[in-house]
Amino acid sequence: MSIREVAVADEAGLLGRIYRSIFRVRPVPQTELERSQAVASNFFFHIHSAKVYEETLKFKKTLGLGLFSLFTFVVLVITGILLMFYYVPAPEQAYQRMLDLRGVVSFGTFLRNMHRWGAHAMVGLVILHMMRVYLTGAHKAPRELNWVIGVVLLLLTLFLSFTGYLLPWDQLAYWAIMVGTSIASYAPVVGDQIRFFLLGDDDVGREALLRFYVLHVVVLPAVLSALIGLHFWRIRKDGGLARPSTDE
Amino acid sequence: MNARPQNAEAPAHERFPLKPGKTYGLMCVVPTRTENTGSAAEKQVQSWPAALSRELLLFLVTVVALGLVSYFFNAPLEEPASALHPPNPAKAPWYFLGLQEMVSYSAFWGGIGIPGILVGLAMAAPYLERKRGGEGVWFHHSRSGANWTFLTLMTTLGILTLIGTLFRGENWALIVPW
Amino acid sequence: MSDHDSKAAPKGRREFLTLLSGSALTVAGLATAGASLVYLRPRVTYGPPSRLSVGKPELYGSGSQVALPEAKMVIRRQGNKVAAISTVCTHLGCTVNPSETGFDCPCHGSTYDERGEVTGGPAPKALAWYRCTLAPNGEIVVDKHQVVAADTFLEIQS
Ligand code: HEM
Ligand code: FES
Repeated sequence: MSIREVAVADEAGLLGRIYRSIFRVRPVPQTELERSQAVASNFFFHIHSAKVYEETLKFKKTLGLGLFSLFTFVVLVITGILLMFYYVPAPEQAYQRMLDLRGVVSFGTFLRNMHRWGAHAMVGLVILHMMRVYLTGAHKAPRELNWVIGVVLLLLTLFLSFTGYLLPWDQLAYWAIMVGTSIASYAPVVGDQIRFFLLGDDDVGREALLRFYVLHVVVLPAVLSALIGLHFWRIRKDGGLARPSTDE
Repeated sequence: MNARPQNAEAPAHERFPLKPGKTYGLMCVVPTRTENTGSAAEKQVQSWPAALSRELLLFLVTVVALGLVSYFFNAPLEEPASALHPPNPAKAPWYFLGLQEMVSYSAFWGGIGIPGILVGLAMAAPYLERKRGGEGVWFHHSRSGANWTFLTLMTTLGILTLIGTLFRGENWALIVPW
Repeated sequence: MSDHDSKAAPKGRREFLTLLSGSALTVAGLATAGASLVYLRPRVTYGPPSRLSVGKPELYGSGSQVALPEAKMVIRRQGNKVAAISTVCTHLGCTVNPSETGFDCPCHGSTYDERGEVTGGPAPKALAWYRCTLAPNGEIVVDKHQVVAADTFLEIQS
């Protein structure tokens, strides 16, 4: 805190001092210094650099697709946690819980809709984001690693969506997972082993539901969140978003 | 600050000796253009509010769009799962239907071989394309070869996915959905 | 390491310790990963058992074929011989239905002949035949983890 800010805090009395203990700048920063501090001193914002290149802010450069992917993921995490309060990952109960969400849980239908459509949307958005990165040449040096991280993010997104697909335990879910995991068993030599490992059994059943549930609500979201953090950190370390070099 | 540089030649830590027992932080930002050697200066703006306000807007758009869709369209829920009643046709989720379509031509190549090669190619792409230039520009003419290859692959996958999703009916026979 | 080379001694030791701790970490990491995989590969399963008894041969009349939908197989009896044939489609895992010509899959239209060989559709290989044995109590036991060649029947005395 600069001398001037301390003075402001002292003038402001108790409430002001409490505010100052949490935020280091005024609610609406007025000077360049305050604006920089607003970003640098805030845990959630400091993933940004204090300044960004104006060129890369233009909507037509990114179409906002990376951010749309991120925010869809955020919505999915929130609605997903809420759904977890009512869902039971067991064959006898899972389907009944889906009916309950529709019938007796307040906002249950809406939350399930949001989670379901969000999951489909996220897969599409991440694919579109990848296409925009490639078609703007933003995957080339020095951003190679971030592209590779991106490919892993895409695979994780697909798998996250796929594991969630089984959870309603309806005909759609059951046979889609039957078909999907059978594709995995076409791998030479270890194919059947992989499928057995994924399903925890020879066939889609109780074990598969439990495994997919654990992957879907804990393992994959955790890994995805960590990698998204790495993805954003790399954007900064690679010198901000790709933009035309100015010395041409 | 009254610590004027005494001797501009001296290294920075001699001109501004750090006092032990004091903490140092960001004190001021000098509103001036920094010189980028070798390239013309690029315009930078403060992340607050320029970037943050745009992000907030995109967040609102995301929530409102998902909210509207969820208000008007209900997620599907079919009969309870039954191992004894396979549906005709049984389909994977839409994003795997391109694979399922390829699997119906060749089990190994469609399900494992081609997808594996595609993922490998995707990972290798930035290392294979070594020519610089065209970064941050849509469809830059110097990259048209790479872009066309990429678009062809993506379109092929898209068409296969579309066939698998819409144009495959009973017994996996080709159908017209309308 | 020679005695008079006092500078080389600590360097050699440092390199040795680096190598030692580095390999220890690598081994520990690999062992943990391996152990996790072993842990996650179940040794018991809770679904339908893979080795199951399907009852005495008398249940199956000669020349008949009986479908056991829960167990996903058919039991075929010809004279004094019985066999168990899988009804899991080799395409993508749906359950096939016995038909006039053999077996038909309802999911994507694969067809098989009576021996389980593919006659049409996307299925890549023939239906599996499982090993049948006779338990001491006279019941037929099918082991779904043991696939045998087509036309492998179990001879029963009657
Ligand atoms: C969970 C999925 C993902 C999220 C949340 C995400 C998020 C983001 C965000 C917010 C940006 C900033 C620019 C923008 O909005 O376009 C970005 C940039 C980038 N992303 Fe992603 N991304 C994801 C997946 C991917 C995938 C699948 C790829 C490619 C295979 C990828 C490669 C990149 C690269 C190379 C950049 C830097 C682009 C540049 O410098 O212009 N990301 N990502
Ligand atoms: S699962 Fe039998 S034809 Fe596809």
